Amino acid sequence: MARPAVILVGADKGGVGKTTVARTLIDYFGAHQTPTRAFDTEAPRGTLKRFHPDLTEVVDVTSVSDQMKIFDTLGSADAKVTVIDVRAGLLSSTLQALTEIGFLESAKKGQITFAVFHILGPSIASLEEIAETARVVGDANYFLVKNFVNNTTFFEWDPATYNSYFKKIKGAEEITIPKLNEMAYEQVEVASVPFVSFVGNKGPKGEGANYSFVLRGYVRHWLGNVWGEFDKVKLVDLVSPKESNVRQVAS
Amino acid sequence: MSFRSSITIVASPRPRVGKTLVARLLTDFHLSEKRKVVAFDLNAGERTLSQFLPQQTVAASVRDVNGQMALFDRLVTGDDTTKVIDLGHESYESFFTLAHQIDFTEEARQRSIAVAILFMVTPDQTSVTAYRNLREKFARAMLVPLHNEMLGSSQHRDKYPISGGGALAVKLPTLAPGLRKLIEDPPFSFADSNMGNATDILLDAHIELQRWLRRIYLEFRELDLRLLLADLTSSIRFGS
Repeated sequence: MARPAVILVGADKGGVGKTTVARTLIDYFGAHQTPTRAFDTEAPRGTLKRFHPDLTEVVDVTSVSDQMKIFDTLGSADAKVTVIDVRAGLLSSTLQALTEIGFLESAKKGQITFAVFHILGPSIASLEEIAETARVVGDANYFLVKNFVNNTTFFEWDPATYNSYFKKIKGAEEITIPKLNEMAYEQVEVASVPFVSFVGNKGPKGEGANYSFVLRGYVRHWLGNVWGEFDKVKLVDLVSPKESNVRQVAS
Repeated sequence: MSFRSSITIVASPRPRVGKTLVARLLTDFHLSEKRKVVAFDLNAGERTLSQFLPQQTVAASVRDVNGQMALFDRLVTGDDTTKVIDLGHESYESFFTLAHQIDFTEEARQRSIAVAILFMVTPDQTSVTAYRNLREKFARAMLVPLHNEMLGSSQHRDKYPISGGGALAVKLPTLAPGLRKLIEDPPFSFADSNMGNATDILLDAHIELQRWLRRIYLEFRELDLRLLLADLTSSIRFGS
């Protein structure tokens, strides 16, 4: 029985594009035919659920019953990968909760693959959060994500400061999400479909849509770059060591 | 496979090589073939094309997303309308970069629209390199070198090789300076049998103009046929 994988996507501040990154991950695993499920902790709004309604459940990660819903089902669920979109500011406390329920222990023992996508905000406080998180994360696969999707975010911290924090976590890797044209991003928001559906000109139920060809092209190009970053850190190998075949983004 | 309609992009990274004249001729050619045709004017400065063909010309721009959408979304619409693009040299880079990024020729192909790029041949290295890049990046479009003999006789054929898939070179023959002056004075439509100010043209000149036009239209007809009825082998090669 293959090892289940859990990916936490978190940030210390809201508005850094955490859910956007979670969406690209879900599409990525979809393209690699890796069954995926997602938990959205942004109760009650559930942005992630809006885009991936069939794969996503809204939960309260601090409630024991919801914790059981997520973690007790890891071995039995159809999904190989579980993506958890952690509410802004709750990354550290979620990791703390995971320690308490013995989840991190299981990860250490190699029973579960565990990865953290830490979406960085522009302020210095964001870097300090890394140190905080590093303390708890330990041997998880740790990805620091610089998200430029919504704007050419100006990061306040200089490279030297960044590197000193970066080095605190053994094996941490860096991922850069490039900018996506605002109008294209907005159109996907309005359409409320996964990125791959937008590119494929499909509506929420798989029906034919009529999105702008130009904007679809922008999204396809951007998504290709984002997935290139995931390829670079060998994300597929991380969650499932076997050979996988990739569906082209443009369908 | 055969295509339902075509898009022809008249392009050169250099200014003042005869692009607008070719775009006019092409548009008038399609009009003479009784087709629905729209010409897109991507020139930043004076909108010359619309002065000559006000009914058929639409101003366009790729400078911002709205302009890009207005142009490209319309280009790939299957409205059975022939489209001609007068690509101003200032828009050359941004147009083709965007077209490549959004996989324009593939989308057009899927909608049964054939794409041709009429590249104005000039001896400078910039153009030679640009042509080569287009060959690499747009294998699904028919790349056609156009030799404007009014710029000088075609000495640089070897620098502009023709790819397979039915492509050919097109020649725009010279026209006497007096007649050139005539056709550059708007309004002037080649499709208009009176040719605008025909009453001012001497019979000889009129005959010469018609002869010139007939030669060009013959080349365009040949190009048109090859474009719309691209043979199966080429589409297999490009479709892989």
